[in-house]
Amino acid sequence: MQRFFNQFFGSAAERTDSSAAAAAPSAYDEALRIWSAQIETSRQHMEEAVVELTTRFGGIVGRLDSALLSDGHGDGDGIATDAKQGQQDLVQVINALKAIQRSRQALAEDIRSVVMYTTELRQMADEVGMIAFKTNMLALNAAIEAAHAGESGRGFAVVAHEVRALSDASRQTGKMITEKAGMISETLGRIADSNESIALEDNQAILNSEAKISAVLDRFSNRTAVMSEAMQAAHQQSTEIKEEVAGSLVQLQFQDRVSQILSQVCSSMQQFQGNASAPDSAASQDDLARRRLEKMTETYTTDEQRRIHEGLETKAVEPQAVTFF
Amino acid sequence: MTSKRILLVDDSASVRKVAGIALTSAGYNVLEAANGQEALSKMTGEKIHLIISDVNMPVMDGITFLKEVKRHPSYKFTPVIMLTTEAGEDKKQEGRAAGAKAWIVKPFQPQNMLDAVSKLILA
Repeated sequence: MQRFFNQFFGSAAERTDSSAAAAAPSAYDEALRIWSAQIETSRQHMEEAVVELTTRFGGIVGRLDSALLSDGHGDGDGIATDAKQGQQDLVQVINALKAIQRSRQALAEDIRSVVMYTTELRQMADEVGMIAFKTNMLALNAAIEAAHAGESGRGFAVVAHEVRALSDASRQTGKMITEKAGMISETLGRIADSNESIALEDNQAILNSEAKISAVLDRFSNRTAVMSEAMQAAHQQSTEIKEEVAGSLVQLQFQDRVSQILSQVCSSMQQFQGNASAPDSAASQDDLARRRLEKMTETYTTDEQRRIHEGLETKAVEPQAVTFF
Repeated sequence: MTSKRILLVDDSASVRKVAGIALTSAGYNVLEAANGQEALSKMTGEKIHLIISDVNMPVMDGITFLKEVKRHPSYKFTPVIMLTTEAGEDKKQEGRAAGAKAWIVKPFQPQNMLDAVSKLILA
């Protein structure tokens, strides 16, 4: 700094020896005042800009935080869970349809069993018809024999007549049973055929549904896998951006250090004002400046200032661990 | 999450902004002041759970402010964290002797500050 001043104003000895000595100190003080004001203005501009940047970066970090919170871990867990749930629901639907199909098959078997029973019923009705026929023949023979017996066979003829009437009724009943059994058998056959036809259609429909659902689930699964990868990538990028921006917030704190250093420089420059215009000799001016330099160390607030003052190299300042007392 | 109130004292608006964003995002209620004198004026009658203060500030520096806080009957047990560019051991010991509970050197990682706040508020 002294060398810099000397380039502008010459050494202290030159200034005091010069005939223009009376003018030089005021120019020196004026320059110090101007530089000090300019440094302070720059410091304020920088502080305003850094506060604005910090506010914006803070807003970005906040929005990224919200975005990262809203998409969980960014692995598409929600979509995958929905897809899995959808698959389970559709499998349940298919299972329900299969259960209906099994019930229909059981019903078809029951109908076949009933058809078999009606066949047996027709056979039984035929047997009843045969018994009625034989009973009729027996009653007819009994009537003939009763006629041969004359008056003594009259009562027997009445019984034979009644037996024939019963035989006819049995034959009619057997015939009706046969007809009804035939109708039932025919109806049940149609029901069984219809049921089998519907069962076949159901089976085909279930197979088709399964195939379509599988295809839909496969497509959905592929899409969700792609989306999940994209979301993971986006989440990763958001996390990295957030870390970068958060890191920038740490770096922006340099402004505080720079501000403190510049404030100290301004303050020291103000203290040095009037040094050159003091009417003392060059030697005493130099002593005064050295005392002020010495005093200046007490106003330092950072290690960099102290190291620079001692002519040592400065090093980058990294965030440190917290010291607890 | 929490409604704990923190008094943040620093003459640097950018530091107040960085620390304020971190503390507010973590759910704390932040009261700001630019120096010790302003802080004493603003905190009067307020419930303050923790104080974060710079050391080198105009009007009233952080160590003087800390000593005032420790003399105040309502705030003498309020934990104080010093947040400063000063990294020297002698300054730290000065802060410790005045009653500070922790010392954070700028530039600081906001998460380290939040961890310290959380630890001291729960203590």
